[in-house]
Amino acid sequence: MTAIYLLGALVICILLFVNRNRKVNYLLVVVFLLLQWALTAYQFMHRDTEEFCGFFKPDALALLMLTTLSIVAIPAFYHSYVYFQNRRPTPRVRSIYFMSMLLLLAAVSGAYLSNHIAVTWVFVELTTLAASGLVYHHRDASALEGTWKYIFVCSISITLVFIGILFTSIALQQAGEADLSYPMLLEKAASLDVFWLRLAFIFIFTGYTAKLGLVPMYTAGIDAKDKAPSPAGALLSSVLMNMGFLAMFRFYQVIAGTSLHAWSNNVIFIAAGLSVFVSAVYMLKVENIKRMLAYSSIEHTGLVMLGVAAGGVGYYAAVLHLILHAFAKSSLFFQISQVHRIFRSKHISETGNYFKYNLPGAMVLLLGFICATAMPPSGLFISEFMIFRSLFEGHHFVLLVVVLVLLTLIIWAFGKNILKLLFTPLANFDEEKMGKVYGYESISQFVLLGLVIYLGFNPPAEMVALIQDAVKNLPN
Amino acid sequence: MINVLLITFAATLLFIGIANRLLTFIRILALQGILLFGVSFLELNEISPLNLIFILLETIVFKAVAVPVFMNYVIKKNHITRETEPYLPYFLSLVIVTFIIIGTFLISNVIEDPRLNKVYFVVALSSLFTGLYVIMTRKKLITHVMGFLVIENGVFILSLAVGNEMPMLVNTGILLDLFVSVLLLGIFVNRIGDVLQDVDVDQLQNLKD
Amino acid sequence: MLSLILILLASLFFTGIVVRVKSLASGRKGPGILQPLKDVWRLLRKGTVFSETTSFVFQIASSIYFVSVLMAIMIVPFGKMKGLISFDGDFVFFAYVLALGKFFSIIFALDTGSSFEGMGASREALYSMLAEPAFFVLMGSFAMLTGHTSFHGIFTSLHFSSHVSYALGVLATFVLVMIAMIENSRMPIDDPKTHLELTMVHEVMILDNSGFGLGLFTLAVSLKFAMYGAIIANFFIGDVPWHYAVLVFFAVQMIFAVAVGLLESFMARFRMGHNATFIFTLTSASLLIFFGVLLVMGKFI
Repeated sequence: MTAIYLLGALVICILLFVNRNRKVNYLLVVVFLLLQWALTAYQFMHRDTEEFCGFFKPDALALLMLTTLSIVAIPAFYHSYVYFQNRRPTPRVRSIYFMSMLLLLAAVSGAYLSNHIAVTWVFVELTTLAASGLVYHHRDASALEGTWKYIFVCSISITLVFIGILFTSIALQQAGEADLSYPMLLEKAASLDVFWLRLAFIFIFTGYTAKLGLVPMYTAGIDAKDKAPSPAGALLSSVLMNMGFLAMFRFYQVIAGTSLHAWSNNVIFIAAGLSVFVSAVYMLKVENIKRMLAYSSIEHTGLVMLGVAAGGVGYYAAVLHLILHAFAKSSLFFQISQVHRIFRSKHISETGNYFKYNLPGAMVLLLGFICATAMPPSGLFISEFMIFRSLFEGHHFVLLVVVLVLLTLIIWAFGKNILKLLFTPLANFDEEKMGKVYGYESISQFVLLGLVIYLGFNPPAEMVALIQDAVKNLPN
Repeated sequence: MINVLLITFAATLLFIGIANRLLTFIRILALQGILLFGVSFLELNEISPLNLIFILLETIVFKAVAVPVFMNYVIKKNHITRETEPYLPYFLSLVIVTFIIIGTFLISNVIEDPRLNKVYFVVALSSLFTGLYVIMTRKKLITHVMGFLVIENGVFILSLAVGNEMPMLVNTGILLDLFVSVLLLGIFVNRIGDVLQDVDVDQLQNLKD
Repeated sequence: MLSLILILLASLFFTGIVVRVKSLASGRKGPGILQPLKDVWRLLRKGTVFSETTSFVFQIASSIYFVSVLMAIMIVPFGKMKGLISFDGDFVFFAYVLALGKFFSIIFALDTGSSFEGMGASREALYSMLAEPAFFVLMGSFAMLTGHTSFHGIFTSLHFSSHVSYALGVLATFVLVMIAMIENSRMPIDDPKTHLELTMVHEVMILDNSGFGLGLFTLAVSLKFAMYGAIIANFFIGDVPWHYAVLVFFAVQMIFAVAVGLLESFMARFRMGHNATFIFTLTSASLLIFFGVLLVMGKFI
């Protein structure tokens, strides 16, 4: 089915490129969404079965991520439609946008489902191509700059990952095997040469931080999320980061079975701690709403990786946090496109008093702020609490205190900006020039935020079982 | 003979450190492509002939001919000036590249694996770090692309070290090479020259907080 | 003894051949081959003028320089025959006795109190400093390869067997030729014809010299040239019987002189700022030779 899905996505892309008629474009997009949901349903029914010569396997983590993607894809396409209603771009620009978005979703799904380390790598590389098409949408100087930086940093990171894969293959050769699929790596984990594995981990981890959004390669993602149109930015900061996590997590599972586990946890602690620090520093001074949300994504992935490195209940919390964060962040990004339509600016100093202009949208922003900063009743509160508990149980007290202080700063910065946007009236704002926003455009975001709250407090047993199955390969 | 070619490759890295003009850089990259052709021809004698022909064609046609010609075209089309404009003086670059080669040599002595050919490891890592160094210390964007191509060459050498047992990896490495170079150079040719006036990194400073 | 005689003989003609080749390449007929010798003879019979700002250093430096070059010549072997002085580690002695001469020529230039000469002296010091590691790494690599540490021992046991050693031999010859050019202050490091302020390196150091001192310096320069030619010739002589060896020696010296002449006629000197980079490139190239030697010896697989 995966092969059919990928082939179908490719065919739809080509058709989108060839036929630029608006109605045909939207029809093809709907077809793709149906295909995506069909894939998700199929993989649910065929859990843990390998397909296409062992390259793809829908294990528990892949299923969770795939469902998240399918859920987020629907409002993404809807909001892109609304975006184009209001901007009326040329058919070529619109078709390239949808093509890139489609390619992105297909490549991310392929990366989720892949069972072989090189196949993951190929799909991650494809996402660079797709995302650059989205970032370059506006085609002006700053979009070009963002695209260039994104492609460059991602290419270097992908090359680093490839070097890591080469080192892994050297280690695997010494154990007598030649198959780089994840089950084989997990099976042979204990007998792999520690020296090569250590090098491989450093390179692979550093490389995937570009997609995941951690120190040191997070910079590309910030510019990309800033410059891409908001629906695309939503996808980049939810689904793409999940892919980075998945790719890194699959390798981490291999490392966890060797004697390098403690050392790799230290490396992750350093990177994740620095990410939270960096995002705190930048959120205090950032002026642009989308960049602020991008840095907030970095903070969340930092917390997720802290949970992974801490272990214990942290594993469960990390996966839960990722899923809930995908919903929360994407709903915020969707709302920002309406903010932009009203105020014609992304800068916080040029916006204000949002409650007056768009009541449902303002409610979304307020609720989204509560969800994203992990205050109850947000489900993120539950997952963050579990992460802190795992840090405490792992006796990382200093780190815990530092992270809590940094999080306070982040909440303050986030809150300061959002509350200014929502409540403070703006001087010299010409209300005639305001764009038109309808209340019903915010419905999708309410649904997503509702999911965040519901899944946090009353997670369905199926989901809990899936998450626990996803982390079963890790020790303790 | 392979060792001679690889040592010559390391010598080209030294010349990259002191390359004054962009054309010199491009010629060194073409020379590296030819050296890699020789190495892959002599080394990969256990894989299928079709695969071997593909790899050989890729090194000669792509690395040694297509990319240098394309970059010449980009330089002429965007009226990029000839100087490489480094942030650090050339002498310091040369010292640093020498230290990089010495450093990777010392690092490789730590490895006790008898099956890995250490010369490959040293040359590949030296190319990687030299490429990263070139990216960090040059102002022009096209030199960043060239530094990236040097990194790619290093990755290719490393993949040759395991190439006999796993030819798939060499192919994926080539795929990376083709894909990214086309993407980077494609954007370059089409857009950067039109939009940015002077095509150096100072122009890319607008996206910050 | 033989090597001393041969080098002295070669030095008689060396500078003359260089000048003659340069003239012929420019379309002139040029002076005779023995003309530089006649210049030296004329200078040696003249009186010297000493400036009042100089001290005793000025008076002794040219003699010390000449003597240091002579001592260095005595170390250079010829084929199977040792030089007059030969002991373990004598290439270090060789490098440092030349450095002693160079030191005296530098302080001799500074002694005159002219900023001109000081500038040339500082450049000369920089280039020698940068070329020194190249020479030591090169000779050290060959000492490691052959197991001997004297010039004589190294050159008699050097033979090229595999591909890597051939490549190393070529690279080593190149490095040695370049070191010779640097030490003799020739192109592409320094242009002996230029007497412009900002571009002189060696010429400016002997600017205030006259008569007997200048004659000694000029003689020492041609002796140094022949000495480096002898070292390069030793690479190719190896185990050949001595009558053939003499022929090879003179052939190599001729080729070296003609090559220097042609190089000077057709090539411009490097920009002053690039000289330092170029000389350091030689050090890096000799490092590659070092790694190649390790490879050949099997100590680094």
